[in-house]
Amino acid sequence: MKPDTHPDLALVPYLRGELSQAERESVALHLDGCARCRAELDAFAAVLERVASGIGDLPAPDWIAYRSELRRKLEGRGTRRHRLWLAGWASLAAAGVAAALVLAMRPSSRKAVPMEELAMEQQLGSNDLGLLENYPVVERLDLLENYDVIEHLDQLPPPEEPHDSQS
Amino acid sequence: MAELTDEELCSRVALGDHGAFEALVDRHQARAYRLAHSLLGSEADARDVSQEAFIRLFQSAGQFDGRARFSTWFYRIVVNRCIDHRRREKSWSRLVPLRGSLDEPGESVDPPSSEEAPDAAAERLESANRLSLALARLSPNQRAAVLLQVQEGLTSREIAAVLNCSENTARVHIHRGLVVLRRQLKRGE
Repeated sequence: MKPDTHPDLALVPYLRGELSQAERESVALHLDGCARCRAELDAFAAVLERVASGIGDLPAPDWIAYRSELRRKLEGRGTRRHRLWLAGWASLAAAGVAAALVLAMRPSSRKAVPMEELAMEQQLGSNDLGLLENYPVVERLDLLENYDVIEHLDQLPPPEEPHDSQS
Repeated sequence: MAELTDEELCSRVALGDHGAFEALVDRHQARAYRLAHSLLGSEADARDVSQEAFIRLFQSAGQFDGRARFSTWFYRIVVNRCIDHRRREKSWSRLVPLRGSLDEPGESVDPPSSEEAPDAAAERLESANRLSLALARLSPNQRAAVLLQVQEGLTSREIAAVLNCSENTARVHIHRGLVVLRRQLKRGE
């Protein structure tokens, strides 16, 4: 360390014994020949002492109340998380049940079907996927009852022909 | 739990061990509260923010990688929470009323004890006020650095880790903070 370079930033670490041996010896050597730095060192020591004594007697809270408040806050966060977690799983479960119902309602054995019927079935199949992708609709299980009717519209008895009085 | 280190307790907290969490709170509640109080100046804020820091500890214990001491990592959470709190309030300028600050007449120094002479009590109050006002002149980083060093005994390197800066910058904060404090305290005498 040059004699004319004051080790300002190293003075507090020197006071607190944080420096390596080499740094400590270098600062000590400088202090031997520098009254300014010795005065700085003493002043810093006094300020540190003053701060330590001034803030050492801060009032402490009632730790029992502090801990119960902390516990309550933590449980509050946990409950909120738990609710979200449950809601997520409930939604997934409902989606699974809905998908299972849709699959179960589809006919398992198939006869040879004409091309027109096949095209219609594919259309219905894609509607199934669309329905599953649109989860909020699937979640409404009551809609599935309607879906059952819609899927088998072709099996519904034709409406009675109105009697034509002119024929 | 008593024989476990902070770091070991923290790993258990990461696995959801509430007992380990309670043990860590036991060990650090006073220091966390004191640090937050020194930075925020209000007992209510210090209580809230230090509790928030513990909740954060509980939620993110798994992120503690053991490269630094647990206390360094945790004080960083406390300081960050204090800074966030102040940022929200935009009131760093109100600053650090220690007990008896002239700025906050609601929070006064304890009344003198029966053993303490009235003159000594008045002197203590005056001294606390001077220190409080002097600390109020520091920047948040300078104040945090000085308080972490004086109150918690952290080294410059540990303070650098808490404040997320280089060790040299931490030394600059401490040095400049002490220069300001010395000037302010001298003025008040």
